[in-house]
Amino acid sequence: MNLRIVIGLTSCAALIALPLFFGGYAIRLATLTIMWVGLATCWNLLSGYARYIDFGSVVYFGIGSYIAFLVMARLEQSFWVALILAAVASGLIALAIGIPTLRLKGAYFAIATFAFAEALKQVALEWDNLTGMSLLGGSHGATFPINTSSAFFYYVFLALTAGILTITILTERSAFGYALKAIAQDEDAAEGVGVNTARAKAQAYAISASFLGMYGATESYWLTYITPSSVFDVHITIQMVIMTLLGGMGTVLGPAVGAAFLYLVSEMLWARFLYVYMAMVGLIIIGVILFMPQGIVGSLRGGFPKPHKEA
Amino acid sequence: MTLTVTGPCALWAAEKGFKIGVSVALTGIVGADGRLVKDAYTFWAETVNSRGGIEVKGKKYPVDLVFLDDKSTPAVSAKLIEKLITDDKVDLLLGGFGSEQVFAGSAVAEKYKYPLISGAASSNKLFERGFKYYFSTLGRATEEVRGCVEVFTSVEPRPRTIAIVGANILFTSLACEGFRKYAKEHGFDVVHYELFPIDLQDYNSMLLKVKEKNPDVLLVGSHMLVAMKVVKAMKEIDFAPRGVAFSYGPTVPKFVEELGKDAEYVIAASEWTPNLPYKDDIFGTAADLNRKYKERFGRQPDFVEAASIGGAVAQQKVIEKLGLAPPLREEDRVALMKGLYEIDMMTSFGRIHFDQTGANVDHPPVAVQIQKGKPVNVYPADAAEAPPLYPMPPWKKR
Amino acid sequence: MSLTIQALINGILLGGVYALYSAGFCLIFGVMGVVNIAHGELVMLGAFAAYWLFLLGRIDPLISLPISFGLLFCFGYILQRLLINRVVGAPPIMSYILTFGIHLVIANVALLAWTADFRTFAVPWAGTSLTWGGLVIPKARLVTFVLAGFVVGLLYLLLSRTRAGRAIRSTAQDWEMARLMGINVRAVYALTFALGAGVTGVAGSMVSTFFVIHPQMGLQYTIVAFCVAVLGGMGYLPGALLGGLLLGVVESLCAALLSPGLSVAVTFFILFLVLLIRPRGLLGRGMLE
Repeated sequence: MNLRIVIGLTSCAALIALPLFFGGYAIRLATLTIMWVGLATCWNLLSGYARYIDFGSVVYFGIGSYIAFLVMARLEQSFWVALILAAVASGLIALAIGIPTLRLKGAYFAIATFAFAEALKQVALEWDNLTGMSLLGGSHGATFPINTSSAFFYYVFLALTAGILTITILTERSAFGYALKAIAQDEDAAEGVGVNTARAKAQAYAISASFLGMYGATESYWLTYITPSSVFDVHITIQMVIMTLLGGMGTVLGPAVGAAFLYLVSEMLWARFLYVYMAMVGLIIIGVILFMPQGIVGSLRGGFPKPHKEA
Repeated sequence: MTLTVTGPCALWAAEKGFKIGVSVALTGIVGADGRLVKDAYTFWAETVNSRGGIEVKGKKYPVDLVFLDDKSTPAVSAKLIEKLITDDKVDLLLGGFGSEQVFAGSAVAEKYKYPLISGAASSNKLFERGFKYYFSTLGRATEEVRGCVEVFTSVEPRPRTIAIVGANILFTSLACEGFRKYAKEHGFDVVHYELFPIDLQDYNSMLLKVKEKNPDVLLVGSHMLVAMKVVKAMKEIDFAPRGVAFSYGPTVPKFVEELGKDAEYVIAASEWTPNLPYKDDIFGTAADLNRKYKERFGRQPDFVEAASIGGAVAQQKVIEKLGLAPPLREEDRVALMKGLYEIDMMTSFGRIHFDQTGANVDHPPVAVQIQKGKPVNVYPADAAEAPPLYPMPPWKKR
Repeated sequence: MSLTIQALINGILLGGVYALYSAGFCLIFGVMGVVNIAHGELVMLGAFAAYWLFLLGRIDPLISLPISFGLLFCFGYILQRLLINRVVGAPPIMSYILTFGIHLVIANVALLAWTADFRTFAVPWAGTSLTWGGLVIPKARLVTFVLAGFVVGLLYLLLSRTRAGRAIRSTAQDWEMARLMGINVRAVYALTFALGAGVTGVAGSMVSTFFVIHPQMGLQYTIVAFCVAVLGGMGYLPGALLGGLLLGVVESLCAALLSPGLSVAVTFFILFLVLLIRPRGLLGRGMLE
């Protein structure tokens, strides 16, 4: 236990000190890795623990991005106001959408969330045309005020990721966490023994949505320019899913390990094998599924009980 | 992955030559277009290197290009520009393809004080941010399509009604705005104006609506894929207005190659054709550039390729004039940026003279038409190789 | 009014296109419970098969249909035997991810082999259309529509009337029981996947006659197939026809009468609502996991 704390504290200190020693591409790579660790961890909270596969998570990333744009560029408020509003708005929308949607199961839940995200992307694109307002900028995109400090974004992402990781750790040991795991095992049985499954699912969905909203807000401010296609991009969701699965669903560290692994590996492959690296990433994914179906962390641990009934 | 400490990089002095980084889409939605830009820069570098390289103070320095694939994604483009600058430690940058991608990348280039000249991104917004280090050899997207509209003032009988459709992404929607602006200026009646999502799989219904309004001319805000899909759908639903023009696509040789006869009569906006009286001392005349390019790649260069080459040449000329030897330091690049604002030169791509926002001076609005499988300059009249074929015959009579 | 009728016709034809390329997806899901994210790549391969056969051998896509069926059938068989068999029966997420990996490999190998160029080819008859009282019916789509009904009907008959079909169905219902009854479950799965891939190859060949094709076109097709399957009821084969038609008609009417931008949004909102109200698909015959 002590060793764990020492390792934990050392890596925290190292992470905090990183921008003092590195800059440019190295810090951007670190920032992006931390961002993806956070995004995958968000996805894991509901989809990993309760096994509700969400194929539309990016919608809250996009909502957060546009809330931030409205707050910062249209209302000229500070980034911090934008960040808080992005979290609140994403969380509330998630509750409104999640309560009916979370009654669906399996592929139906997956496709419903996906459909919602795609529909909202189109709405964001069409909003100005439909309403005659010039609010979101449609396909012309939206520009943010410029902040060139790499360290600023590094620390914001670090704080967000620390936040969602802490929530995951607390969840793992709480009644909330047990409820989610019970849903994954057998939802009807969980309800039978008095678990309020609807509430647990909605909570997990809303928490991860708020964080996704904040990630969206921060990344958009960092990139300075967004379009509906870039912030509602289905590939962002796909990436979260793949990373979590590679690392191990329903574990604290799995998504983080999966995200860091996949992000850094594809970065390395990409630099060396410009034209074949996506195919190589595909092979790695196939390899992990075939040979370590519990994910990297799950396999190292020797696996956890399978949540499904049939073999 | 190698982590490197930032700061002034005196260690690099050992390397000879100019290392030039390009973040450009090689895969993804504009991957095919991005590869043109890659070919263009490759051609420039090979030509320059065949004469020993860029000449600075009597000494020649070869050019070494580093291409990275931004996957048609703006976020990746921003990352790659930062990688090129701080990790690969390139001396210079050149711009990639696509307004969204270049948009994200130019913010990073600005931060590191690297001039970024692009020949394949022209959205108006790129010039409205007060950036000092961003340049484009193309005109603004809305102005680029002027020739496409004006060509229809030169035909008989003069069309009256125009329909405008376009993909709802940055570049193509701006092209649509340009179409509308010039159509109104020339007294055409815009009977239909609609943007459609880039993800739209089937164009038939969208074009049925246009067909119903029976416009004389259809103008399409497009890139390559959109242009091809529109032509296929028009034929399928038997929709043949008297004229059809695209903001981008038909000038790419692949367009004619793949569509064959169906590409005939199609008009496209351009900023360059090989018959224009442009020249420089690297490639010779526009026609020479065209010929050499064809020898190297087996196809004619598109105007985006000519514009990319033009940007590379402008950067080269300023470096030679200022005598900036590699490795370039920050003050060299600041000088380069200032030097770029001062040039007013002729290249085989045409005149290059950047205004305060970094946009190139207006080029004469050119329109080309596919005639017998070749893009032919049809407008303006003084540069035209042939008169425009108008009206376009119905599909069933071809 | 004629616009509405024309848009309706177009929507029905488009629905046939959707149904044809979604049938294989439904079949594979229905029997194995595998959500095949690489489905769009099968469409792409079928399309390129027709493209090359036409370009190099001057073989009309209609004639080369059996060839693309055969090629994709073999490809599907191998894919199933080597890889996908390993995730049958595992939680559905495993099949998403495995097939996503396969999607990446196929799409990117194709990209290397054939470059990112957009391709299309002009088969003399395929680009043209029949006109009837001012209404236009593109020939290639009409063929595709008929083919969709034919393929779904044939698969349905195959499943309900033949010995192989009975083996497939009993495996779909309870594979352990099927194995006890002496059915070679692995062979059944491989056959199913090969069949699904084969008809998808046929669909791809047809698609190539009226759409522009390129190595990275797949994901969009997978997404539509997923939507069609859900609308019709996951795993219920005739549902593919219904789902495809509904999707095609809604999309076409919206594009023609409202705006094409809204057509995508409306399609997905309808999908979302259908799911909330009738989670087993419109006919209520799909299965829940």
